[in-house]
Amino acid sequence: MMGSKVYKTLFGQTILMPQANVEEFYKLNDYFEHVTSNKFIDDLPHAYWSNILPQLKKTYENNLLTLKEEGLPTKRSEQFNFANIHKLYDIDILSAESDNDSYDVIERFSYLNGKKRCIVLNDSRIFTSEDLNKRSPFNVQILDSVNTNKNRQSEYVKLLRQQDNFSKLTYALSPFPNVIIFPNGSNNTFDKNPVTVQYRNSCDEPRLECNTTIFDVQYNAKVHLKEDVKTTAGQMNYSMYVLRENAELTIERTTNDYGGWNIFDSVFICHPGSKLTVKFTNTGSQYTQENLYIDSSSKTSVDIVGRNQIYKGNQYHQYVYQKSNDPDNYSCIDIKNVGREYASTSFIGRYDVGPLSTNFNGTMNNQNLMLEKNVTMHTRPVLDIHTKEIKCQHGCTVSNINEDHMYYLQTKGINKVTASEMLIESFLC
Amino acid sequence: MVKFEAGKTYVIMGSNGVGKSTLIHSLMGKPGLPAVSGSATFLGSDINTLETDQRARLGMFVGFQAPTSIPGLSNFQFIKQATGIKVTEIQPSLSKFKEFSNTLGLPDDWDKRNLNTDASGGEKKKNELIQMLMMNTKLAMLDEPDSGLDVDGIKALTSELTAWRTKENTLVVITHYDKLISGLNPDAVIVLQKDGALVGDQSLADKIFNDGFEGV
Repeated sequence: MMGSKVYKTLFGQTILMPQANVEEFYKLNDYFEHVTSNKFIDDLPHAYWSNILPQLKKTYENNLLTLKEEGLPTKRSEQFNFANIHKLYDIDILSAESDNDSYDVIERFSYLNGKKRCIVLNDSRIFTSEDLNKRSPFNVQILDSVNTNKNRQSEYVKLLRQQDNFSKLTYALSPFPNVIIFPNGSNNTFDKNPVTVQYRNSCDEPRLECNTTIFDVQYNAKVHLKEDVKTTAGQMNYSMYVLRENAELTIERTTNDYGGWNIFDSVFICHPGSKLTVKFTNTGSQYTQENLYIDSSSKTSVDIVGRNQIYKGNQYHQYVYQKSNDPDNYSCIDIKNVGREYASTSFIGRYDVGPLSTNFNGTMNNQNLMLEKNVTMHTRPVLDIHTKEIKCQHGCTVSNINEDHMYYLQTKGINKVTASEMLIESFLC
Repeated sequence: MVKFEAGKTYVIMGSNGVGKSTLIHSLMGKPGLPAVSGSATFLGSDINTLETDQRARLGMFVGFQAPTSIPGLSNFQFIKQATGIKVTEIQPSLSKFKEFSNTLGLPDDWDKRNLNTDASGGEKKKNELIQMLMMNTKLAMLDEPDSGLDVDGIKALTSELTAWRTKENTLVVITHYDKLISGLNPDAVIVLQKDGALVGDQSLADKIFNDGFEGV
C-alpha cells in the first residue's frame, strides 16, 4: 500500500481453523474453550514470540488462567443482568485461515492513501495514514510487534486490567496490545486536528476479529479522537485509554450496524487533573455490548454523553462504571436511547465512590424512549457511596412518545411520521 | 348546528368545565375525546374522517390554552416543518418570523429558542399567534389567547388579530376578557351551557360581565 504503513501484530496464529468433516461455524464458547485448553496454554512457552517480551508472556498466561477459572460472562454478573447474552452465544462465527498478510486485506484499507491523521485497527493490526508515519518530535508514536521497545511495552502490558467482562477473551484472542502514544509536548496539536480511529473488519463474512489497544495521552496533551466502529462481521475491541496528569481526551465514537456484531470494552485511567469527554452514538446490531470503565484519581472531570437510536430488532447493552478513588472529581453521565420496533436495550450505570473521594460531584441520567410496545428497555442506576461529603444525583426513565406533544405537532399540520421523527430528534438533542 | 362563517369573528364564553376547549379540540380531531354523533364540515369537506394534521393543512388552526413545551426543537425549526417551506424560502420565512416576533416584543433570538421551553405564559401565547400568522390559517380557534399577556401584549394581540381577520378568514376566540372582546368587535358571542348554547351579539357578553353566567 503506497503512502501508508501497515503495522503487524506479533501474534499471527490462526485460531480454530476449518477442518475436514467438521462444521465450519463455531460459537464464541468454542474460542473460549480453545484458548483455555491445556494444550493451548502448555504450548505458550514454545510460541515464537514468547521470549521477545517476557512480561507480555506472563501477563498473557495469567489472563488465560483467569479466563479459564472464571469462564465467559453470564447474566449473574451485574453488567449483563439485562443483556440478552444468550443471543451473543448463539451467533455463528465462520472459521478462517489466517489472512494477516493477504493482499485483499491490504487492498481493503488502501483508502488510507491520501488520508490524513487516520488510523485503522483491524484484527490486531494497525494501518496508518502517511502523515502519522513520519518521525517528528510531537507526532503519534506507535509501538507494536514491528516497532518494539521492550522496556516501554512491558510497562504498558502491566497496565492492562481485565474486568469481569469479555476483555479477557478479547485479549486472549489478540494478545499483543498495540500502543498509540500522543506525546507530552504535543499540547493541543491533536485537539485542533482530530485523529480518526477506524475499527474495521477485514471481511463481510461472519468471522471474529479482535483488537487490544492502548492509547496513552501523555502529560498536558490534548487529544481529540473520532472513532468510527463499523461492524461488517464479529468484532471484539478492548481499548484502554491512559490520561496522564492534566491530559485532555475527547472521543466521538460512532458505531453503525453493517450486519455484524460488536463488543467494545473501554477502560479509562484518569490521572489527577485529567479531563475525559466521550460522546457516542450507536445503532445497535444483532448484538452490541458497549462497556465503559472509568477509574478516576483526583480532580478529574468526566463527561459521558450517549445518543443512541437502536434500529429495528437490534440489541444494544451498555454498562458504565466509574470508580472514584480520590477527592474533587466531577462526573456527568447522560445517555439517551431510542428503541425502534423489537429493539432491546439496557443501561446499567454504577458510581463507586471510595471513602477518600470527598467532594465527588456526579450526575447520572439515562432516558429511554420506546417507539413501540414490542421494544424492551431496561435501566438501572447504582450509586455505591462510601463518603458523606459528596453531591450525587441520578434520573433514569423509560417512556413512550408523549401523546400531547404528538397532538400539538399535528395541530400545526405536521403528519404523524414527521412529528414522531421530530420528537425523537428533540429527545436526543 | 353551529356555523362559523368566513369573514366573521366569534367569541365563545361559558363557565368552567362546560366544554369550550373540548369543542375546539374535538373540531381539530384530538384523539381520545369521546365519540359524538353528528357531522362537521370545513370548506365543504367532511372532516370527521380526517387526521388532525390533515385538518390543519386544510387551514384549521387551534391556539392552545397551555401550549406544549418541546425541548430540543427550536421555534423556527418547528415553523419550517409546520409550513413545509422549501430551502429557497427559508430566508424570507425567517425574516417574516423575526418581523412578527419583534412586533410582539419577543427576544431577538426567539427563532433559536426551544419551542415554548423556558418561556413565560405570555411568550407562549405570542408564539401561538406567530404560528397562526405564519401558517395558511383560514379558521383560527384560539383558547384564551389573552391569558398571561401584559397590557401591551393584549394591545398587540388585538391589533394582529384584527388585521388578520379578513373576509376570507374566520376567527373563533375563547375568552372572558372584556377589553379583548370589545377590541375584536365580534359578530357573534356564543355562550356554551351544559344543555345547549346561547348566541347573541356583544351585548350578551356585557350582560355576562354584569350579571354572571347565571344571569343569562
